[in-house]
Amino acid sequence: MAQTALKDTSVEEFEKKQEWWWAAEKKRSGRLDYLRKAIWKKGAIGGLYAPGVKTDLEQAVMTTNMAKSMEGSPDPYVIKSAKLFAHILDNKTIFITDHAQLVGYTGSLPNTMNWNPSIASILNAEVFNDPNAIPDPVDKNQEVIQEIVDYWAGRTDLDRMMPVFDMDDLMKMLSGSIGWGVPLARGGYSNKDYEYIMTGKRAFQDIIDELDKKLDEIDDAVHEPMANKEIAVMYDQLNNWEAMKIALEAGIRIARRYARLARIIAENFEEDPKRKEELLKIAAACEQVPAHPPRNLQESFQYDIFIQMMSRTEAIEGAWPCRPDYYHGPYYDKDVHIDKTLTKEEALDLVGEFLIRAAEVCQFKPKFAREGLQGIDGTWVWTMGGVDEKGKDACNDLTIAFMQAARLVRVANPTFAFRWHPQVKDEVMREVFECIRHGLGYPSIRNDPILISNAMHWHGHPIEEARLWVHQACMSPNPTTKHGYQPMRMANATANCAKIIEYVFTSGFDPVVNMQVGAETPDVSTFKDFEAFFDAWVLQMRTIFSILVRSVNRARLLAPTMTPRPFLSGLSERCIESGQDTCDPSIARGNAWITAFTWVENADSLAAVKKLVFDEGKYTLAELKDALAKNWNGYEDMRLDFVKNVPKWGNDDDYVDSIMLRCLDECAKFSKELKCPCGNNWPILPENVSGNIHYANIVGALPNGRRLGDALYDGGISPGPGLDKNGPTAVLKSCGKIDHVTQGRAFLLNQRLSPTQLADEKGFQLWKAYMRTWADLGLDHVQFNMVDDATLRSAQKDPEKYQEVIVRVAGYSAHFVDISRKTQDNIIQRTVQGLG
Amino acid sequence: MTTCQECKNFFPLEEDPNRGDCVQRVKDPRQEYYQAKPVNADDDASSCSSFQKKQQ
Repeated sequence: MAQTALKDTSVEEFEKKQEWWWAAEKKRSGRLDYLRKAIWKKGAIGGLYAPGVKTDLEQAVMTTNMAKSMEGSPDPYVIKSAKLFAHILDNKTIFITDHAQLVGYTGSLPNTMNWNPSIASILNAEVFNDPNAIPDPVDKNQEVIQEIVDYWAGRTDLDRMMPVFDMDDLMKMLSGSIGWGVPLARGGYSNKDYEYIMTGKRAFQDIIDELDKKLDEIDDAVHEPMANKEIAVMYDQLNNWEAMKIALEAGIRIARRYARLARIIAENFEEDPKRKEELLKIAAACEQVPAHPPRNLQESFQYDIFIQMMSRTEAIEGAWPCRPDYYHGPYYDKDVHIDKTLTKEEALDLVGEFLIRAAEVCQFKPKFAREGLQGIDGTWVWTMGGVDEKGKDACNDLTIAFMQAARLVRVANPTFAFRWHPQVKDEVMREVFECIRHGLGYPSIRNDPILISNAMHWHGHPIEEARLWVHQACMSPNPTTKHGYQPMRMANATANCAKIIEYVFTSGFDPVVNMQVGAETPDVSTFKDFEAFFDAWVLQMRTIFSILVRSVNRARLLAPTMTPRPFLSGLSERCIESGQDTCDPSIARGNAWITAFTWVENADSLAAVKKLVFDEGKYTLAELKDALAKNWNGYEDMRLDFVKNVPKWGNDDDYVDSIMLRCLDECAKFSKELKCPCGNNWPILPENVSGNIHYANIVGALPNGRRLGDALYDGGISPGPGLDKNGPTAVLKSCGKIDHVTQGRAFLLNQRLSPTQLADEKGFQLWKAYMRTWADLGLDHVQFNMVDDATLRSAQKDPEKYQEVIVRVAGYSAHFVDISRKTQDNIIQRTVQGLG
Repeated sequence: MTTCQECKNFFPLEEDPNRGDCVQRVKDPRQEYYQAKPVNADDDASSCSSFQKKQQ
């Protein structure tokens, strides 16, 4: 929009037109406006990074040179890992952006994407093959990259681990047909022991002091005139503790580097006294944290940013498990209400900047991840609200401040997920609703009582710990406690579930990757009844899940020695206490789950087969097999019969809903048979991120009438777009038939609501009534898009004018213009539900 | 040989004057910032495009 038009139009006029993004631009402070516009958009657009965003070669070169220099060193692997980590923090380029009050970034410059070449050669190859992201001069830097790629070939985590995996499983997993991601402890979603490090009781220096004591004690113990098994393992403890100490000390040093830079700017360059004062405050904050516990809100946010930045130096993080209102809330209260050192407006500026710092974080990702997470770098789903360990309402003034700041800065990542429970006050719900009404697509709403029970049911977390859960990725609750937190969720236990039904027709042979992936079930045309057909479905499900879970279980066992994480271990009470690596399954309760992408097609397809083949006898399985093999070509009338004349999930129709429940029962039963190395279960979690688009060309034709290439359904239990014909309550009733505690880990439901209908106070009351029904029916999740078709179609025609329109894609939000046309169309096709 | 310590962008560490930071003002298409990169005082700066002779 032209600056004059922006200037001449009032906030109220923009809000009346529901052009929330322009209203936000006018409402936010000058500082927030500068910082918001300073963000380099890192999410890939259509799988490609935006112009100007470049792979960070500095850290890749440093990592490689340091690794080379340590080749002859006798240090154990874990110590070398810590030294590598420390070397990067000590030598990377750092920067402080004008107007910023918070510092710290994963890359060396604002437009760079961190690249850690020590993790996977397949990632390194993608860096080499992505010339758009290679910094200038491209030819010269391609040579640099080639050298790095060559050095790490055979040396990366994945390269070293692959030979000790089951090669058959690995080939199937890496084929891309049934799984998504790789089983690595340094590539996934790390939850953290926030109860240990974020409650103000201790920080890095306190932990280092504790480690020094441990090291002294063990040094004495191993030199006693004694030799036994206990002493034999102490050498591993010694190395792990030493590595943790190296990592934490490096963490303190880089913070001091930021403090020094802030002082240099203040004392040598800055002329504005107000900014000078801000820089000295930055310096004071970085001298305090992470060495010592924070003293105020700015330091608390700064502490958190440092931890996240360091964790992303050690590993590739695809998520951001946290609970910022809960852990930073006491500092907000102290600064704003008790000490009155911050006004609400000043606090809001800090909260908004905290969101911006997270929004700009980026690490180079492989193409499958970019396609699966269109428009964002990872799923930064921040947990808000909920209850405390005693079950009391934990919402606070910072919860509200986060909702307000989100509407001002309008970043698509991080997003929020709000833990609803019956004690949540109306004032907080109104703030949550306003975010949704302003078209952010977040917060998603989570049913706290259901999910606390769920965490206890599946993983045996005690209730006090279960109440302290955060989203480990988009959806899965995980406590932030000593034995509850899961240090790494390896993303490859993500099943492309539409393959379950597809493989029933191909006897497990995958025509896309041209290999036998599933079970060799009998020729589908030989099945005489639905039960035999369903049995084949169960076997395919068990086969696919097993392949993925076996790989993760193996990786989890290998992780402590082959891919240790000394920094993350240093933040963990159980590791400080035991001297074991954070990924060691013997000291964790476990929080494994199988993400079930492209799930709902199974219920609709099974219902179609049952009705048209077995109940009505209109078609034979042989005919259907042929039609699917030919992608329905030559069978259009038959295809339409399968689309139109079969009950579909989401219409409160027991015919298909009972099949959905039966499928979930089978999975839940198998989930209890599958065991993770911690001895716990593997429940499923149906959701999609952008997997429904990513897999469009990988999943063949299906009995629900879908053709190869068509987008798959968007949610975990969302009805197919446009197939829910009976209104919003029918959708909720279908989803409410699922037991959200015992039948799976969580179930993602996307809904579209009308922004016109929900425009005012009456709209809030309608939404609240809808949410009451949702809660009464025991659903665990729902999220909303509230942008109308006209706006979205205008954005397709004129994307430049609608750069700031945000939509809910699946477990995350994205700017509408940053997602593919197919995903855009898929969102528009979703039914707009009228309430009331 | 011109070295980093002769440059006005070089800020030595108090505890070790042989090491320090090269601090520069940068303007990219989206933001302006100060960056700091660790360098040694006697690093060769003869081909550094940012070198600015320190006033004595």
